[in-house]
Amino acid sequence: MTDAPLDFGDPADLDRLRREFRAWLAEHPLPERQSGEPVPVFLRRWHRLLHSGGWVGLDVPERYGGRGLTALHQVAISDELGACRAPGVPRIGYLAHALLEFGSEEQRLKFLPRMLAGDEVWCQGFSEPGAGSDLAGMSTFAERHDDHYTVRGQKLWTSYAQYSGLCLLLARTDRSAPAHKSISAFVLPLDRPGVTVRPLRAANGDDEFCELFLDDVRVEESERIGAEGVGWALAMTTVSYERNALDTGHISKYGLLVERLRRHAAERQGSLPDGLLSRIGRCVVDYEVLVAHARRRTAERLAGQVAGPESSVDKLLMTRTEQRLYDTALEVFPAELSGQGGALFGDYLYSRAASVYGGTSQIQRNIIAKRILHLPSNG
Amino acid sequence: MDPEEFVLVRDMVRSLATRHGVTSADEVKPSTRTAAQQALDDTGLADLRRTSPPAATAQECALLAEEHGRRPLTTSLLGTVLLAPELLRLLGADTSPGTPTIALTRELRFPGRAPADLVAWDSEGADSALCVTAEGTVSRVELGPAAPSTDLVRAVRAVQSDTPVEVVGRLAPADQLRWQAYALVVVTAELVGAAGSFVEQAVQYARDRRQYGQSIGSFQAVQHLLADATVLVEACTSVTRYAAWCLDNEPPERALAAARAAKAEVNSSALEAVYAGMQVFGGIAQTWEHIAHLYLRKVRLGATLLATTADLLPALAVPEVTR
Repeated sequence: MTDAPLDFGDPADLDRLRREFRAWLAEHPLPERQSGEPVPVFLRRWHRLLHSGGWVGLDVPERYGGRGLTALHQVAISDELGACRAPGVPRIGYLAHALLEFGSEEQRLKFLPRMLAGDEVWCQGFSEPGAGSDLAGMSTFAERHDDHYTVRGQKLWTSYAQYSGLCLLLARTDRSAPAHKSISAFVLPLDRPGVTVRPLRAANGDDEFCELFLDDVRVEESERIGAEGVGWALAMTTVSYERNALDTGHISKYGLLVERLRRHAAERQGSLPDGLLSRIGRCVVDYEVLVAHARRRTAERLAGQVAGPESSVDKLLMTRTEQRLYDTALEVFPAELSGQGGALFGDYLYSRAASVYGGTSQIQRNIIAKRILHLPSNG
Repeated sequence: MDPEEFVLVRDMVRSLATRHGVTSADEVKPSTRTAAQQALDDTGLADLRRTSPPAATAQECALLAEEHGRRPLTTSLLGTVLLAPELLRLLGADTSPGTPTIALTRELRFPGRAPADLVAWDSEGADSALCVTAEGTVSRVELGPAAPSTDLVRAVRAVQSDTPVEVVGRLAPADQLRWQAYALVVVTAELVGAAGSFVEQAVQYARDRRQYGQSIGSFQAVQHLLADATVLVEACTSVTRYAAWCLDNEPPERALAAARAAKAEVNSSALEAVYAGMQVFGGIAQTWEHIAHLYLRKVRLGATLLATTADLLPALAVPEVTR
């Protein structure tokens, strides 16, 4: 695929969509976060506003409340939002795709429209204290009874669970089968008896992450998504959407910071040490690479290529860009480090998580080695 | 070109590379050079970029340069087919006689204000060289004797300081930008091809080579080395292809900025990818007979060709308008 010419330009309908969206944004000013308003509450207000304009779930079929367009249309909207410093699109794409691919028609009709509208907030119960990179090693167990399960275990890193009503939960349903065939997926309402949510404070001071304790929680059979044992496949689909670094509007956010660094370099020309000037130049190159790479992926998808393990390459490139950029930005704006630290310092702290969330950089390298390079397994 | 035609042309370059790519430094001899160059002439690609509008887009030319870089080739596809004809095309001098290549400074940079201190770069099969000064004046210079090059497959000829200089024309300012962007993209694309191919060869070697009773590609330390090299090659590929597309579709200022970014990425990342590949090959890659140093030489010298990282990064740090 990469040895034939590609069209790196936007197709006409994407361009039209971007213009429509800009016109809508001009009439709907970005909401301001009120003092003391928790981030997820603010984001939910934003989610509903976007939904009212038809800008959520562009790639979800219309009968489930979406617009029936493609992932590329969704990317264009993320990109536009990043470019005007708006909060990103609601992070529901990966959950929606899990339901679309594995849910029953009844479940899709029941959950998707409310999810897209922001009427129901979801979180993701995958990782556990003992199952991080080795997700398949999870020990939360759902014991089967006639028409329901009893779930017992503990989940970790369930972002914003304290503000969520539903959780996409993975649990083991078979103690004897191999790990990848014994995991099932459930929709768990978080107000069920036996569920305890405890927020964790992150390094940047936010309480995004949560722990979830499940003590003999009853889950109905009808709340299982897909057949027993398909949980692993569902998780892999979900994670590959979540990992899709190029779909998240991050790039335009980096672009704004890169431009800020360049303006500073221009103003301070001559007085900025050469080394620092080169580091800013390096960030410009990283950013240009990421823009080009995202456009190449878009062009490849338009040419009919299906997304696969190369999303691990994308994630490593995004991580490189983000971590080097925020590190350089602190060097250029040292005042951000004084006192309690400025907003940029908070973003810098969060950039350190880029090589961990959505699969660590080491896991991405394993995926590239095995699934792209087809290198042999040990032994 | 329509897609089928491009595939045909690409496969011509591919089969040239298979038949005439050298596999060891000792194969680089005058007789093999002549035979390979004759094979390139026989492909009839000389007019790809000579007519206006050109038969091949910049992206197609970049893809051919990439293909040419995948094997160590002595042929001057870059100098005599892709680069010098583009200059003549931009000048509207498409009936100019002979087979020129391009002239660069001895440090392999774009020439300065005067056509002085030059070499004829990528001169296999060439009978003259075209020099573009910083002001955009294009002149033709005669070729001197063969000059040594650390890139063993690349032919370079001296240009005598007393050589007659024949002015061919002058590039309009926008065409001067286009020329620089195009030249950067073409040489960068060849380096991307070289690094990509060498990493693929290292991956194959990691599958085959056994130590401790198992293939070394099963060791995570080796896997991660190759995974990182793969990411670097992908980054180089994306940014270079995009820069080539910009030449076909964007204003020259934007195309030049994209080409500079591509060269900066490739200067460091293609080289790092080659280092990783050599590390996987281990001791065998340190020998004269092995192909590794031919790639290393091309990519290392390539990192200084036209623009170095030290030239590019401080310039890219400042927005175009204030430069």
